[in-house]
Amino acid sequence: MRSGIAKKISNAVALATLGFLWMPLVVVVAFSFEPEMAAVHLTGFTLDWYGKVLEGGGMLNALFKSLELGLTSALIGTLFGAFLAVGLHKYRGRGFAVLALIVYLPIVMPDVIYGISQMVFFNYLKQFIGWPNAGLLTMGIAHISFQIPYVALIVYARLVGLDRDLVNAAADLYASPLKSIYAFWIPVLRPALIASFLLAFTLSLDDFVISFFTSGPGSVTLPIYIWGSIAKHGVTPETNAIASLLIGAVLLVALIQTYLSARRVGHLAPTSN
Amino acid sequence: MIRLNGSSYTQALRLTATIGPGVAWITVFLFLPSVLMGLLAFLTNGAYGQPVMPLTTDAFKQVAGFNFLGWSPGNLQVIGRSLLQAGYTTIATILLAYPVAFFIAGVRERYRAFLLLLVIIPSWTNQVVRTYAWMQLLAPDTPLSDLAVHLGLIPQHLGLYPSNYAVSMGLIYNYLPYMVLPIYASVEKLDWRLVDATRDLYANSWRVFWHGVFPQTIPGLLAGIILVAIPAFGAYIVPQLLGGDKAMMLGNLIASQFSSLPNWPFGAALTLVMLAFTFIGLAVFRRLSRKLNAGEANLL
Repeated sequence: MRSGIAKKISNAVALATLGFLWMPLVVVVAFSFEPEMAAVHLTGFTLDWYGKVLEGGGMLNALFKSLELGLTSALIGTLFGAFLAVGLHKYRGRGFAVLALIVYLPIVMPDVIYGISQMVFFNYLKQFIGWPNAGLLTMGIAHISFQIPYVALIVYARLVGLDRDLVNAAADLYASPLKSIYAFWIPVLRPALIASFLLAFTLSLDDFVISFFTSGPGSVTLPIYIWGSIAKHGVTPETNAIASLLIGAVLLVALIQTYLSARRVGHLAPTSN
Repeated sequence: MIRLNGSSYTQALRLTATIGPGVAWITVFLFLPSVLMGLLAFLTNGAYGQPVMPLTTDAFKQVAGFNFLGWSPGNLQVIGRSLLQAGYTTIATILLAYPVAFFIAGVRERYRAFLLLLVIIPSWTNQVVRTYAWMQLLAPDTPLSDLAVHLGLIPQHLGLYPSNYAVSMGLIYNYLPYMVLPIYASVEKLDWRLVDATRDLYANSWRVFWHGVFPQTIPGLLAGIILVAIPAFGAYIVPQLLGGDKAMMLGNLIASQFSSLPNWPFGAALTLVMLAFTFIGLAVFRRLSRKLNAGEANLL
């Protein structure tokens, strides 16, 4: 494989595949500058569509809804997930089977099933006890449920890497629960907590299917907004402009992350724990 | 483990305080809804699509194709199409992922992170956006559609979208990164001494790959198959945007039972069918990965 014609073919396929991954994104961005509606070929250059998107207000509104939902659910999801990981780490044994079940159900369950079963459940709850109203609340509840397992996985992995005696010592020093959380758990788990929170937040921002089925009037997040505008108007330069802004945001985050991790490697010795 | 302080009472209290909220949350908001769906499948479809008593197995008969008009293969075709599409997607992503994984592992170390980022960034973009992009690429009179017309796949002046081809394309595109990354992880820590050994035994390049390289990548391959096949089987966004009525997959059929022309018991029965296939697939995989001793692929 390392020599000869096989390698050349393999490399050509690899390059073509990388092109395949980027082609749709390039097309979306290119056509966001296209002045004509429903054009198949590029005919000119304009920034009008971006102006329309930003002045319309609908998209910004949806963005704020996405951020509100993402931040709130990630905060609660991280809290519950971290407690779950700590508890299951301490009381290994029978709890372990429960962890496996809890952790893997939402991860392997197809999201259509997940979203629809939540929708049906909330529907019946509303009918019988008058709560909750479909909207950011039901979406948040659904998001927290799928965030908890991911957070528990990350925090648990960190706990497994810790010295068990250290964990036991914290419990033996008769600190009050609040004090031990503040003085021991938070500092020790900080990297895992930050990583969990960011993952939970990203999962929430990225989710469409579960949000779609648990949403209600007035809880239009960004992916739902884009979905709605495709359903209403089909492919338009305006949607391309929204999509391009999203792609730009992802690129920016990726660049910042690369920069930060490069700097970390450059200036700090590898962490000892 | 021996505990020196604390009675079993305080231990129980601590356990409740730590795992209680998370477990309670998931039980109420995840397990209960799933159980409810399981129950709905055995109820009767009411006049407005709402489930009513008595308990029946009508919904499952309907899944098998029986209704008041007799038998029709429609529902089974949708299930079969979902299985096929998941199969195509898995095979295509494997064939594309291996060259990419070897290519990235073969460049100098400082470029690898950049190339990995090239693979990861598209998958960070929202799935709705990624799929919607293909609506434009596969529309009539675009280069790809023209090519398909030349090859005789579709009639003149029609686009590739909406169609089964478009759904395949969208699924492969969306799930490719989830195949590349685990395979790359395996390739990166490949033991080249084993590969050299096969070469020393005068194996040709195909046999070097098959006996020296491939077995070492099985853990990554199995992990990739799980990450691709299950979501592709349960896909909703891609077939909804890129497929038409003739390219409908199980996820869309389920969703339509809960929105337009609702029939909740039928939808719930389809849900159980989807879950059954998912869990059977996972169980087969679990056995396979144990047999091949591929520790990392043990997702369950």
